[in-house]
Amino acid sequence: MLKTIQQVIGLGICSAIYLGLAVDAYALDAELPEDPLNSVMWENMASRFFPGEVVIDQRVIVQGPLDAENQMQVPITVDATQLDDVKQIVAVADLNPIPHILTLHPTRAQAFIGFRVKLEQATPIRVGVQTGDGVWHVNGVTVNAAGGGCTAPALAHGLNDWYKTLGQARAITRRESEELARLSVRLQHPMDTGLAPGIPVFYMNQIEVKSPAGDVLANIEMFEPISENPTLTLKPLVSDNVDELLVYARDTEANEFNYSLPVPAITDN
Amino acid sequence: MTSSLLEGCSRRQVLQLLAGSAACACCGSVHANKLAYDLAATEIASGTWAVHGSTEHFTLENGGNIVNVAFIEVPDGVVVVDTGPSRRYGEALLQLIEKTVPGKPVLRVYNTHHHPDHFLGNQVFKENIVAAPQQIIDNILSEGDGFADNMYRLVGDWMRGTASIAPTVALQDSTEEVGGRKFSLFYLSGHTSSDLVIRDDETGVVFSGDLAFYNRAPTTPHADINIWQESLQSIAVLDRELILPGHGLQDNTGESLEQTSDYLNWLHTSMQDATGLGLTMNEAMELPLPARFRSLDVVETEYKRSVVHMYLALEDELMPLLEPK
Ligand SMILES: [Zn+2]
Repeated sequence: MLKTIQQVIGLGICSAIYLGLAVDAYALDAELPEDPLNSVMWENMASRFFPGEVVIDQRVIVQGPLDAENQMQVPITVDATQLDDVKQIVAVADLNPIPHILTLHPTRAQAFIGFRVKLEQATPIRVGVQTGDGVWHVNGVTVNAAGGGCTAPALAHGLNDWYKTLGQARAITRRESEELARLSVRLQHPMDTGLAPGIPVFYMNQIEVKSPAGDVLANIEMFEPISENPTLTLKPLVSDNVDELLVYARDTEANEFNYSLPVPAITDN
Repeated sequence: MTSSLLEGCSRRQVLQLLAGSAACACCGSVHANKLAYDLAATEIASGTWAVHGSTEHFTLENGGNIVNVAFIEVPDGVVVVDTGPSRRYGEALLQLIEKTVPGKPVLRVYNTHHHPDHFLGNQVFKENIVAAPQQIIDNILSEGDGFADNMYRLVGDWMRGTASIAPTVALQDSTEEVGGRKFSLFYLSGHTSSDLVIRDDETGVVFSGDLAFYNRAPTTPHADINIWQESLQSIAVLDRELILPGHGLQDNTGESLEQTSDYLNWLHTSMQDATGLGLTMNEAMELPLPARFRSLDVVETEYKRSVVHMYLALEDELMPLLEPK
């Protein structure tokens, strides 16, 4: 920002229009808070994924390991339940070849998500939570990793008949309270990034959780960095007479998968 | 000693420096050419020496010396159990052996399993004396290079010149005589897919490899907990005088076996519970450790690593498969 001003001053007799542009840029820049994770990609990430007003907010709790024990499956959990009126949650990895990990719209769910990500190298994992007033509440963690998570082929390709179990699902559903369920679902999918030699891009790009009446409780757009066999943990809001959740998933080849998950009564916990 | 030299060093590192101890990797170039493992031999039984490593993680300071290596004087020579994390370690070990047991040749080197801190010193020994079960040899052949690369990343310059060298002698007998001493060999597994346990039948010292940890949290990257528990049972009933665990001090009561078993049992059960509750790995990592394990070295970090090692398989086991709709 300083540099911009110095450049402008250095021009000396620059035109008013030019000066005006520079000052506008300065004003916009000034709104972006300093990056707590000290990444060279911060401004780039913020302008691409969190356009508009950005605040660093500790109420966005992002859990991730300091070191990636398995960089093909780095667990991240986001809890933004201290914020009201959450419209969407966007997770990105600054230094991945493809940064965008996922976007969650928790329409009728708590602002909470657990997922796992492939990391190409050590990188900040950044989460922006947009509230109804348009403000992005951003926080994140830096995870160390050795390298190669995104460009390595999925383990599934070591198996001959991986496609037979494509979309197969495992899940655990629990009622945490009368109005709140916890859903952990794992869907069989190679999640090919297109970056491994000879393997075209092919990944599960959408998961929707619905009530039996068809109301969308949560919608997740997923991208290439999500780990093989995506495993997602969500907290949908369910009234006490709802004993079932519907899960719909779709991949980039338009394969579609539908499942019904029983939600046990609270006494069954 | 100028203050600028000490900048960025921890208090412990500074104390080490002032004490004139070997290397301070933190101070970088000043000591870059002097990286040296300060190996010491402790006689734990007659003619049997343990070379104890620290009970930390791999760090730039310790050069990967976190492991127990041992050597035994037999009538005609020396037998070595595990070779440490690097070529440089192997060289220091050879010097220590020559100093402790002058003039005696190394006749046999055993590798207890394929983890990098246990075999990456192999290259300083004659190839035709380094021995392990075939499965350990295969594991080193398939994973050794990757481990060596990773060790370079973790401990840096200490690894210079280190290559992954697999044993050439495939063990299969239940005993072997080396230089006039009989050794019993037990082909176990659980810490990895192949764990060799060696007993010196003369002294009754059992070299357990990483099937036993003592006052140091067990590591689980290749573990099968149920099989590991069975292996601990097998060691528990062995006729023996002393156990040298893979990490931690020698144990003459068998407490290391009980401690390892207790920890693994708790770990397994609590990971099953966490998976069953649908907790995320991150949530599982934050679960409190029972008081009795909190004094184990590096337990906080090993526990978090174990969550990642164990979760996927437990999901296969405990998450019900759904019928498509
Ligand atoms: Zn080991």
